[in-house]
Amino acid sequence: MSYVAPKDYSQDAHIVEAATRRMAGDLDLDWMAIRGEPAAYGPRDPRRGLTLDDIDRGAYAAARLPEIVRHNFSMAPRGAILPEGLPSLGYTLNRKSEIWSDRAAALFEEGKSRHWAPSHAVPWATLDAIDPIDRGELARRQLATVLISAGLVASDVAARWEWHMNQEFHEVKYLLCVQMIDGARIAEAFRKRALYGSGSLGIDSPAVGELLKMIFESDTYPMASASMNLLLFSWVQALGRHFEFHATQAADGFLGTRLAQDASRFLAYGIDHVRGLITARPNEAEVLHEHLDLVENGLVGMLGASEVIEPLILLNGSLDVVVAFYARTANEYFTRCAAAGLPDRPARSPVPDFIRILRG
Amino acid sequence: MATPFPSLAFFQALQQRTKEASDRFERLGYCDTTFGVRIGDRLFRVAFEVYECTAVGEGDGDEALDFVLAGSLETWIEMVRAIRENSGADAAHTLNTLTHIGDVIQVEYDDAEGYDKFFRYMASLQEFFDQARALDLELR
Repeated sequence: MSYVAPKDYSQDAHIVEAATRRMAGDLDLDWMAIRGEPAAYGPRDPRRGLTLDDIDRGAYAAARLPEIVRHNFSMAPRGAILPEGLPSLGYTLNRKSEIWSDRAAALFEEGKSRHWAPSHAVPWATLDAIDPIDRGELARRQLATVLISAGLVASDVAARWEWHMNQEFHEVKYLLCVQMIDGARIAEAFRKRALYGSGSLGIDSPAVGELLKMIFESDTYPMASASMNLLLFSWVQALGRHFEFHATQAADGFLGTRLAQDASRFLAYGIDHVRGLITARPNEAEVLHEHLDLVENGLVGMLGASEVIEPLILLNGSLDVVVAFYARTANEYFTRCAAAGLPDRPARSPVPDFIRILRG
Repeated sequence: MATPFPSLAFFQALQQRTKEASDRFERLGYCDTTFGVRIGDRLFRVAFEVYECTAVGEGDGDEALDFVLAGSLETWIEMVRAIRENSGADAAHTLNTLTHIGDVIQVEYDDAEGYDKFFRYMASLQEFFDQARALDLELR
């Protein structure tokens, strides 16, 4: 059942009486006498305009937030006056270290600044010269199909957790809204890539689905962040670079570059978020390790799935190049994990063994 | 008079292009990174802030570099020549292609976040180098 407020406002005599009085011009103006801390904030750099960091000061600053927020569970914005009687929205993410990154505000601004619109920005007409049944083209459309799934699940993961976050952490909530848009744009752009002209979607992959489900159904937000922002987007970024590398015309070059660009913001937040969490609460490292042990097992499934590895072999011309690509991307992922405070990933991960098996 | 490549004057000319062609860079969005370009044994430093290149220099500086793009003189000349011949990098000579499989140009870095800035801002950095199409250059 939908939420019902405890008061029947339409039958409240005080509300009707007060409204009638105000309509006659008798204003209380009580709200005007009680204001948040006065601010005189403006753009520090006019080229950027007014950013979230410009107004993150005084009583409105995130630096004043305690590790555990107990003073506000309502929808009231940080720094506003909190009257009695505000309803709780039931937030479950009320610990700053669970979600926080000092970079969230800047990444939010950057995400908006570097946005692009697939409908017009991609030079789609350059795809006209492509043979729609060329094996390389079929391989690109198969990879595009995988990326559509990854993009939409990224939106789903951000959406799944954003509304659980306390309103006091608005910078991170804003960033997750941009992640939803970024994920949707990945799905939109690669759906259009697959279907442009005489195109078609490829086949979905159970192994890719299992990996994405493990990320989507992470028990906690830190687990979801580590497995999506760090792990999944290490591979999404790499696939973007690979898409650009194998581009034979401008549209794929554009798409690959922008995919790598947008994926890198997920990575930047993920590294800083996980590092902050482990710094504040070192015991969380083992929890994340155990989760990544499982999700990387799913990653092996994706990397070995015919719907993924075979198009890569076709594009690269040999398995050896694909193995080198996998090894490089795994190494980059482990380097990011180390930067986030998880230096033991290579020793625990099934991915290096899988790559050794592929090498023969 | 033609600007020699490689040289500090070349990067100063590219820096000026980010002001003259500001609309192209503003369309691509914020770009905040300080990186290096190693051409043979010469290191050039390039700083971007908001939309434009704000500083260039040669040699080791005080500021930390997010990443360094390192390649042989021949590789860089080939890239710049391709940019001039195609009015922008062709598919074989984009920054991504040259730094991906095969590592024709190496991306050197100390920390993962600095490394990822190369990819976060790659479109802006490609546009930066593509501005070489507007310069009168002497490749040597």
